[in-house]
Amino acid sequence: MIEIRAVGKTYQTPTGPFQALRGVDLEISKGEIFGIIGRSGAGKSTLLRMINLLERPTTGRVRVEGTDVTDLDGEPLRRLRQRVGIIFQHFNLLNSKTVQENVRLPLRVAGELERSAQDRRVAEMLELVGLARHAAKYPSQLSGGERQRVGIARALANGPHILLCDEATSALDPQTTQSILQLLLEINHQLALTIVLITHGMDVIRAVADRVAILDHGTVVEAGKVVEVFLNPRTNVTRALLAESGVESEAAVTTDVRDGSQVLRLTYHGALTEQPLLTTLSRESGLDFAILQASVGRLKGVPYGRLTIKTSPLEQDGLQRLQQTLDAQGIRHEVLC
Amino acid sequence: MVGSTLQAIQSFEYWPEIGEGTVDTLIMTALSLVFTVLIGLPIGVALFLTSWRQRSERPLVARIQGWVYKTLSLLVNVLRSLPFLILLILLIPATRWLVGTSLGVAGSIPPLVIAAAPFFARLVENLLREVDHGVFEACRALGATTRQTVLWALLPETLTGLLAAITVTAIALIGYSAMSGVIGGGGLGDLAVRYGYQRFNTPVMVTTVAILVVLVQVVQVLGDRLVARLSHRR
Repeated sequence: MIEIRAVGKTYQTPTGPFQALRGVDLEISKGEIFGIIGRSGAGKSTLLRMINLLERPTTGRVRVEGTDVTDLDGEPLRRLRQRVGIIFQHFNLLNSKTVQENVRLPLRVAGELERSAQDRRVAEMLELVGLARHAAKYPSQLSGGERQRVGIARALANGPHILLCDEATSALDPQTTQSILQLLLEINHQLALTIVLITHGMDVIRAVADRVAILDHGTVVEAGKVVEVFLNPRTNVTRALLAESGVESEAAVTTDVRDGSQVLRLTYHGALTEQPLLTTLSRESGLDFAILQASVGRLKGVPYGRLTIKTSPLEQDGLQRLQQTLDAQGIRHEVLC
Repeated sequence: MVGSTLQAIQSFEYWPEIGEGTVDTLIMTALSLVFTVLIGLPIGVALFLTSWRQRSERPLVARIQGWVYKTLSLLVNVLRSLPFLILLILLIPATRWLVGTSLGVAGSIPPLVIAAAPFFARLVENLLREVDHGVFEACRALGATTRQTVLWALLPETLTGLLAAITVTAIALIGYSAMSGVIGGGGLGDLAVRYGYQRFNTPVMVTTVAILVVLVQVVQVLGDRLVARLSHRR
């Protein structure tokens, strides 16, 4: 659907060239919600804007729906942009126009529909985002969440296959954020829309994304399924981002292991979460376990569990045997001490 | 007391001339305002579209934009730096060629427009710069052409600002039109010069000044009301 290959972006600044992106590779599949997360200045906004060429890459190629768009210009570029919707952190609505005129703007730009067909399309879009009642209002009469809904209706008016979200919920309060994320999930489902969103908040990723890429200083340091990345972060950047959002709120475990016991962290997701893991493990290994920390929950519908356990004192090869049992069950594990 | 004042006002022999002067001033201001907007608005838009922030990513286009901006900007600055009275005199040949005379209402309009259009163009440029960059970006992201962006988004977004700028320009034009009386431009300024300055007729002088004050006041109030009515911002 979207292919980003070895993309780099260098800006000329008064203090010399600045590399916003270096060698980024990403592949985003049809119908998925793909999250890009990173701190401010990591280059996520630049990366997102490469997809509709609001930013042109200095090096590398961008393909959208099978077409190389990197060098598009003029009319073909405008056609591409009409097929890729985008919503912004600060909504970027026209304050001088009513809600329905804002939503009509992309239709006028595309110039394919008659006025009456435009009216129907606008009404349809406002219905979709739940703003039918507010059609004749001006943006200044709406709340932040409602304004973002107008932004979404505008972005979807021309029936794009891709929706880009540029920190779309960062200016909203937590409750409104949830309702907007819910709406994104709905339209992702209903319209089989591919959504690419950038954010600095892990909770946004957690709530809606299927896959995630972590961007740091212009490079992708980690990418994969959200569950995988959340449960087994491989880089410090990811861990730090997780810790900030309270996902990995694991204070260092302090316990006495001089008696030969071991502390392990087990992570698992999917069908395993409904299995009686600990009791099975206990029976098969003949060991007892104390749970030091545990979290179970769901990441966009995928159940997961993460347990920090302390074993009863082990025999010589006890640890090895335990690890074999865990491997056999498909439980990821990590010896902490 | 009241009766004698009324009588004095009624017997004031210059009313017909003052009335004529007022009408002339109104015509001069209105016509030159129309031409000022027609000429100044496109120049203002052109200044904005070629200004630094709107430069194309294509080097050649950006270069052309740079030249256009510098040329327009210089022209605007030169015209704005000339005192109006000097401009009036300088333009006499051009005015004669354009409207056949450098006197009266017709002769006043070209210099008025040439003085006010650059001023209005700068106001427009500044207004457009004030438009949130996000609006511009949203239009680009929708695939809008520059023409569509200007006509459907930028100008509507600045509508109230434009009305305020037109009000300011109209008031400046009332002032300028009075000045054109010095070289026989007609209107209230002409009256003030001929009677007040050359013949020391203080009542005529005072009356014309009072009418000018009222005109300016009326234009400002009307402009403000219109702006308030059309404003959708918080």
